[in-house]
Amino acid sequence: MILTMTGTVKRYRALIALDHLTLNVHKGETLGLLGPNGAGKTTAIRVLTGLTGADAGKITLFGKELRGKANSADIRRRIGLVPQDLALYETLSARDNLEYFGKLYGVYGAELKKRADEALEILGLTDVAKKTPKKFSGGMKRRLNIGCAIIHKPELLILDEPTVGIDPQSRNHILGFVSEISRLGTTVIYTSHYMEEVERVCSRVCIMDTGRVIADGSVDEIAKAAIFEEAITLEIKEPTSALSESIKKIQGVSRCDIENRTVTIVSAADSGNLARIIEVAAPYVILGISAKRATLEDAFLALTGKTLRDGGEAS
Amino acid sequence: MAVFKTGFKYCWCSPISVTILVGFPILIIFVLGSALASFISPDYDFESLPVSASVETGGSLEIFLQSSEISQFLDVTFTTRENAEELLESGEAFIAVIEENGSVAVIRPPGGGMNSLIPISIIDSYMQIGAAMTAVATGGDILESAQLIQAEISVIQAPLGNRVQSSFDYYAVTMLVMILMFAGINGIELFKKSMFSETGARALVTPVSKPALVGGLLAASTVTSYLQGMVTFVFTRVVYGVYWGENIPLVLLTLFGVTLFSQAFGIFIILLFKNPNLAMAVMQSGIWVMTFVSGGYSKVDFGAADAIFRFSPNSLAHTVIFGSAFGGNHDRMMFDLSLLFIYGAVLFILAFLLGKRRLTS
Ligand SMILES: Nc1ncnc2c1ncn2[C@@H]1O[C@H](COP(=O)(O)OP(=O)(O)O)[C@@H](O)[C@H]1O
Ligand SMILES: [Mg+2]
Repeated sequence: MILTMTGTVKRYRALIALDHLTLNVHKGETLGLLGPNGAGKTTAIRVLTGLTGADAGKITLFGKELRGKANSADIRRRIGLVPQDLALYETLSARDNLEYFGKLYGVYGAELKKRADEALEILGLTDVAKKTPKKFSGGMKRRLNIGCAIIHKPELLILDEPTVGIDPQSRNHILGFVSEISRLGTTVIYTSHYMEEVERVCSRVCIMDTGRVIADGSVDEIAKAAIFEEAITLEIKEPTSALSESIKKIQGVSRCDIENRTVTIVSAADSGNLARIIEVAAPYVILGISAKRATLEDAFLALTGKTLRDGGEAS
Repeated sequence: MAVFKTGFKYCWCSPISVTILVGFPILIIFVLGSALASFISPDYDFESLPVSASVETGGSLEIFLQSSEISQFLDVTFTTRENAEELLESGEAFIAVIEENGSVAVIRPPGGGMNSLIPISIIDSYMQIGAAMTAVATGGDILESAQLIQAEISVIQAPLGNRVQSSFDYYAVTMLVMILMFAGINGIELFKKSMFSETGARALVTPVSKPALVGGLLAASTVTSYLQGMVTFVFTRVVYGVYWGENIPLVLLTLFGVTLFSQAFGIFIILLFKNPNLAMAVMQSGIWVMTFVSGGYSKVDFGAADAIFRFSPNSLAHTVIFGSAFGGNHDRMMFDLSLLFIYGAVLFILAFLLGKRRLTS
């Protein structure tokens, strides 16, 4: 276990940003921390990196308890943090940025130069190493933002919404990078409010809302656990109310609505009802069938009552 | 060390710091210097400067002071010696010119108000002419005669040298001091970026200790600011021909004292308010006030409060630099210089203590 947070509480005056948060990170895994804006993801990261003190709870990093506010220098050296907002010197070159943070982590000389080259290479920034981030696209800035956190080869890399507002190409690059670094043995905490990202790169997901973890498990587990119903849509040439009545008699079906040619059925998840419904509808002319399987997105919606869109506002 | 180098690069490359701290002063010294130069040019109609004089009736000095050229600049009150000194003390005259037994003395008000610079340079020009005339009359050496006469003046006021005072001399000094005060912005900007932003958060999660980080940043902003000041300094000397006196090391030391003070001030207030924008606002208004009361732009009569303003950091720096260039009281200069460094040191200590408390809570 690389990180354990137990009962962590963080208050901002009346607002409770972390409400007895409990979070564990195992060595080598890529943990997705998923939650809408204001869920407390960034606050959790600030607390565990020692940027903000917690009001209660116990945090252990690499087997050492975090006392007072800051981690010891020894622990800090093993962590890499990619902050949510860009944290770069816009007027210094990409290489200068990398080398500055490298030096703060105690990497010097030829080793520093080598690692800066590697970071530029892996993030696809070699060509613009001498340019300043001022002239970069959003995606390039994001990539450099990551670069500055990996120059010291951390054992635990924390990425706080690293793909906000960038082009698909840069996003792919970043996701590919996360998979790669994880494959090489780095433990990763990846926060996001993009479902598909977490589904793609994370081996485990914690869904956070209002300062606590409300679901924890593999992507599939969470989707299954959270989704009790699935929607099946039939397209039928001339549906009748008799059909609707027959379908409603199937166990597990809670609703069946007909609108023109579209029959919408809500049924318990994983009940195997799709086959039974098709059987009942066989005498009719079926034009089309679609069944929506539970996704993380649905899980999120079911768990929090909020959709996760860009910005993640509750809707 | 890494913090220092990067901080230095950051400050030095920062466009705001380059325009405000190097471009702006060079421009403003030019504009104000030129404005004042035209101000004292004969075809400009301006309020003449009050001078009290006790001179030999019908003597050449009286004729000189009454001449139409001079009366454009100086509003001379001819009176007795006692009255002339009283006028000086009450501030109704910028200088008092006393002629007795063939020697001339120029008395400045205590504290050597900057207003006395122009009248002194005018009287000085009379002495130069007098020296030349004496030399011609006696067939002696012009320089020797000049020194003879100026030796008399030095009883009260050290000689101005053979140099004609230029308005640039005055504005270059006050501006550079002011600009170095504003260089506290460098410190604030750098701390804002490197400690109070996401970039700062990133630095704070590295193994580097806070004192090392603060120290490096401080050194970076101080050195950058000082070097920027030096660019202006060299520029005024070489391009504008500003006279900084003979004791350049003393001037540089004083400018360094100002830089230290402004950095300490900037860092103190950013740590005090923990809000870079508020700190910036306080910094800017604070500097304007300090510059204003020390007579950077205009000498305002604050009456009794003058004594307090004399100890404003700008004023202290002015005393040392003008004193060094134009012969001020040595003890007072040393006292003022020490005081400037003490101000800086006290602010540093306060900033450090604040920093320890603020950054660990
Ligand atoms: N410095 C702060 N002062 C006051 N409230 C804060 C501060 N930082 C975060 N919050 C509040 O804490 C809650 C959690 O925020 P955050 O951790 O940033 O969420 P997330 O990263 O999941 O979007 C939000 O309601 C936010 O407004
Ligand atoms: Mg966040």
